[in-house]
Amino acid sequence: MLQLTNLRKSFGSLRAVDDVSLEIRPGEIFGLLGPNGAGKTTTVSLAVGLLKPDSGTARVGGGDPLNPEIRSKVGVATQALALYEDLTGEENLRFFSKIQGLSGTTLNQRVGWALEFSQLSDRRKDRVKTYSGGMQRRLNMAVALVHEPPLLLLDEPTVGVDPQSRKAIFESILALRREGRAILYTTHYMEEAQRLCDRVGIMDRGKLLALDSVDNLIRDHGGRDVLITECSDGEKRTETDDPVAELEKLRQKGPLHRFRVERPDLETVFLNLTGKTLRD
Amino acid sequence: MKQILALAGKDLRLLLRDKAGAFFVFFFPLLFAIFFGLIFSGAGDEQSSIPIALVDEDSSAGSAKFIEKLNKAAELEVLPTTRSQAISLVRSGKRAAYVVLTKGFGPASDRMFWGDAAKIELGLDPSRKAEAGMLEGVLTRYFMEGFQANFTDRGKMRGHLQESIAAMNTAPDSERAYWSPLANSLKMMDDFFAQPTVSGDSGQSGEESSGWQPLKVEVSDVSVKRVGPKNPFDVTFPQSVIWGLIGCAAAFGISLVVERSKGTLVRLRMAPLSRRQVLTGKAVACFVSNLGVSLLMIALAIAAFNVRPYSLPWLALAIVCCSLCFTGIMMLLSVMGRTEASASGIGWAVLLVMSMIGGGMIPIFFMPPWMRLVGSFSPVKWAIITLEGAVWRGFSPVTMLAHCALLLGIGTVFFAIGATIFTRRGD
Repeated sequence: MLQLTNLRKSFGSLRAVDDVSLEIRPGEIFGLLGPNGAGKTTTVSLAVGLLKPDSGTARVGGGDPLNPEIRSKVGVATQALALYEDLTGEENLRFFSKIQGLSGTTLNQRVGWALEFSQLSDRRKDRVKTYSGGMQRRLNMAVALVHEPPLLLLDEPTVGVDPQSRKAIFESILALRREGRAILYTTHYMEEAQRLCDRVGIMDRGKLLALDSVDNLIRDHGGRDVLITECSDGEKRTETDDPVAELEKLRQKGPLHRFRVERPDLETVFLNLTGKTLRD
Repeated sequence: MKQILALAGKDLRLLLRDKAGAFFVFFFPLLFAIFFGLIFSGAGDEQSSIPIALVDEDSSAGSAKFIEKLNKAAELEVLPTTRSQAISLVRSGKRAAYVVLTKGFGPASDRMFWGDAAKIELGLDPSRKAEAGMLEGVLTRYFMEGFQANFTDRGKMRGHLQESIAAMNTAPDSERAYWSPLANSLKMMDDFFAQPTVSGDSGQSGEESSGWQPLKVEVSDVSVKRVGPKNPFDVTFPQSVIWGLIGCAAAFGISLVVERSKGTLVRLRMAPLSRRQVLTGKAVACFVSNLGVSLLMIALAIAAFNVRPYSLPWLALAIVCCSLCFTGIMMLLSVMGRTEASASGIGWAVLLVMSMIGGGMIPIFFMPPWMRLVGSFSPVKWAIITLEGAVWRGFSPVTMLAHCALLLGIGTVFFAIGATIFTRRGD
């Protein structure tokens, strides 16, 4: 559904995107991880035709997103809440439906669906500025979906939302995957990427450092498990491929007060690949 | 096209929901037109009367008659009092002046040709010199009105003449020779007024028998072709239209910056819309609101403020051209600032200066020549003149079309510059 091939984009001397290639298939959630300034937003902008690449190609459903008609295949929920606060939730949905070319019965049906999706049917006539952060975030996502795009770009969709809204957003995203939509998901939250994404790409300084499933990334770049034991001599950390066997060995040497195993996760993968944490 | 209309509809809806924006677009221009219209017309500003304290030390029929005139005078607010009280009132600033009709005022005001003059004492508050000058004129005017009556009434005239002759005849011997020529002349005048008039009047007393007047003003209603505004609102409502257009230009120019800062512009750009469509949507909204506010102002002017445009078709054309011109100005304003605050500050500063030098605040014809010249660089001046051309200046078709073409040119150039900057920034 989305195919980026050897994309490059520079701003002056800064190379924001450096030879990035990736593909997102229908029914797949692709996580793009990277710290601020890694090039995620520029990659997304190139993917939706907001920017023209210096070299390489971006294709959405086989077409060039610089063509406005191709962009109707994309729904974007930006990190900033791109809504008109003085319009009601329904008016926002109607407006964005119209500019996506919907009209008549289809428009009414899709607006009704989007209100249900965002759980805002009972607040449809209220102005957006009266909504809570979570409600605005859900509406922001509904606006991206109102025209049924096959490709969805979600940029930090859970920033600043309460746990209840976050759970609702997760469920919605998983439902969209089941419908066969391709989703590009950028986030700072490792646990979200780990929970939702089928594959993850890790970016830093414009480069795509790794791209694979979460399990494979951890296996390839996460390093070994760490067994942490506490005995009369104090705490001891031991890297091992087999924590159970290592624990047995240590137990035979003397009594252990406590132990725990730290398994590598995406954070560890990220640290190993970039030398810094995701929030740096 | 549907998408452009959707963009325009959204912007118009947002404008109507923005109370501050609606104030500057609709209510401020209206207040401006009404407020300055009333000031220029003097309506609502009752001719302020001069408060005086009046002392009648004569207490004669003549002084009473004069006081009656002063009491009826619109220019004066008369408070009868005593001399000491009158002086105190002026000193305390409660009255602008005091007027004392001195002893002998009544007989002297009836006497003609001889004897002491009627005497009025005037005590003035030095801080109210302008009113004092006016007061002297008002007192003189009402006194002369009474004096004039002596000349226009034959009966009175003869009475005064006979009194004067008798007084001269009974004067001491040393003075009688001096007055004798005048007494003889007055006797001849008395004989003259004793005759029936040519029209057969018997010389009876009364206004109908008036044989002579010092001045007779006949007023004729002559319709002349006016070269100026017929009504102060002819001037203030074109100005108010411009203020409405300025409000729209500011509101929509800033709204584009707000869209940029809030991220909705990115969302629009990610939609299947070209930059041109996004800009056209904004321009259509601005143009429609420009038209709306202009028509609203003109409709109010015609319905409630007796403005009678010289030519309605030309006025419609002028409104369309002004609206297009300010749509171009809006586009240029929208790229003048990166943030809402900077766009608002720069936008209003530019618009206010344009308005100030272009006749949006002070009517162009009140301006000194050098300011009119400077104002020629402001689109506001050309917009106002074009509107006035259709309201009261009575522009010929050629002049009107030339002004409209100029407004369209200004609008096109400004729009092109703004759109080019907008596109180059990659917005």
